[in-house]
Amino acid sequence: MTLLFDTWYVAKRELIKFFRTKVRLVFTLIQPVIWLAFMGNTMNRVTNNPFGAQMFGTSNYLTFMTPGVILMTVLFGGVFGGMSIVWDRRIGYLEKLMAAPINRGAIPFGKALAVMVQGAIQVVAIVVIALLFGVRFQTGIGGVLLIIVIASLFSGILSGISLSLAASIRTIETLMAIVNLFTLPLMFASNALFPITMMPGWLATIAKFNPVTYAVGPIRELTIHGWEWGKILPGTGVIVGLTLVFMLISQIVFQRATSE
Amino acid sequence: MQTAIEVNDLVKVYKNGVRAVDGVSFHVGRGEIFGLLGPNGAGKSTTIKILIGLLDPTAGDLRINGVDIRRHPAEIKRATGYAAQETAIDDRLTGWENITLQGRFYHLSGREIRVRATEVLEMFNLYDRRKHLTATYSGGMLKRLDIACALIHRPQILFLDEPTLGLDVQTRQVIWDYVEQLRTEHEMTIFVTTHYMEEADVLCDRVAIIDNGEIAALDTPDALKAGIGGDVIYVRFSGIDGNESALQSRIGAVSHVRQVKPTADGTYRVIVEQAGEETIPQLFMLCEQLGVTIDAVSLKKPSLDDVYLHFTGHAMRDDTENHEAHMKARFMRGRARRGK
Repeated sequence: MTLLFDTWYVAKRELIKFFRTKVRLVFTLIQPVIWLAFMGNTMNRVTNNPFGAQMFGTSNYLTFMTPGVILMTVLFGGVFGGMSIVWDRRIGYLEKLMAAPINRGAIPFGKALAVMVQGAIQVVAIVVIALLFGVRFQTGIGGVLLIIVIASLFSGILSGISLSLAASIRTIETLMAIVNLFTLPLMFASNALFPITMMPGWLATIAKFNPVTYAVGPIRELTIHGWEWGKILPGTGVIVGLTLVFMLISQIVFQRATSE
Repeated sequence: MQTAIEVNDLVKVYKNGVRAVDGVSFHVGRGEIFGLLGPNGAGKSTTIKILIGLLDPTAGDLRINGVDIRRHPAEIKRATGYAAQETAIDDRLTGWENITLQGRFYHLSGREIRVRATEVLEMFNLYDRRKHLTATYSGGMLKRLDIACALIHRPQILFLDEPTLGLDVQTRQVIWDYVEQLRTEHEMTIFVTTHYMEEADVLCDRVAIIDNGEIAALDTPDALKAGIGGDVIYVRFSGIDGNESALQSRIGAVSHVRQVKPTADGTYRVIVEQAGEETIPQLFMLCEQLGVTIDAVSLKKPSLDDVYLHFTGHAMRDDTENHEAHMKARFMRGRARRGK
């Protein structure tokens, strides 16, 4: 019980700050708009024919890329999830938290929860933007809800990785350098923006093992086709599993880093 | 007096081999203001962090309110409040948000938090600014808020690590006034570390001087000062003319005078056990009887700085520069003791 309670208040602190900096909220949404408006509309001319429809599964590239843009946005949010722990250590807040009788596990859990809630809010905003761009979600409200859940779990994986790194990193600059190193490769070595069938063999192999691909799968299915559980469940299962694994790892790493 | 904090043979060796605390023992009574003084890296912060459960001790018997801190960590955390050396305030939250979240981390109910946060913010003169982001607070306000946060769960013992470090003189005074108030009005036990000897002198009931992870001295400030030699009176006479030794022995016979010594420039150095200001009139009376004139007289009372210097062998101001060398030396010593 106290774990849940403590997790919520650790998360709440981050969320108060998230909602207060409305400028940041707007800026995180500018990028998806740019992707959809610039790349989406250009690529639309490539896919808007029978060949493109076969290659991409839809003749509307905007519909194809919306799941990719959703994941890209939550990925960027997630990788910076560890930043708040580095910051808290620096200002001494982490020590203050640990001097309180809270369950220590609540610290990484709370930080990850905050990232996941922020991710969910961003996904809602991107869905609205996509609707304005003419994208239609085949599975309606129910599908969109499941998309939100999958995307926010995916940000949980990334924040788990980020929190694990942050437990032993002392400066924000180092953490930023490390996460920047693997965010772009993660995006491009996946089916987020282009179908795997278009990729050269070596890249396709990497893409098949990339967790981004597993997350894109069910989201794209829900967006383009419909409730085909056979194609939705496997990817979702992998994402749920990876979330649990990385939450656990971040927990172990954190406990080890803070015991002396 | 009941004991609030009992520390017996505390040892802390860090994973990297630094022997930060090396067999420290002391007791702090309930309602006492206890000061821990020492150079940087002497083991002050480590001692505090162990007492509040942030660090595990390597060895030692530690009790707070008679409870073993290793057996009941949660109970200890509820009984103690802690304000670290760095003010740990989230500057993107308001003062109110900072303190109420702290209340949540101590598992207080929403109602309790509202009542106590109001009470403690009013006490620290921050209530009117509670809705402002703390990024707009001054250094002194941040420190006050930090201490206020440490009080939200009404601890019986408050640990303050360098509460006045880096603050201006007025703000330091304000902080100490609050500390006094906490003790007198709430009967709180206060364990404080400080770099400012004059503050420790005025405020602490007892002080311990820690150096190299060991307690070098522990007593009331007055007893410590008396212990290193007492007050010193400097007197210059005229019209002695060969009666020096007689004068010297007559002064030596005055009550409380411990030692009389002529210095190189002809001034006499009279060491008195205590209350040098009461000895001066006696000197005047004596000189009148002897027909000797006193040309100049001055009184120097030993400060806690002198005590500190006496026990640690270096003045406080040198410490920052020597910090690094000191840590290295301690590291080597720790390794040597572990037989490497």
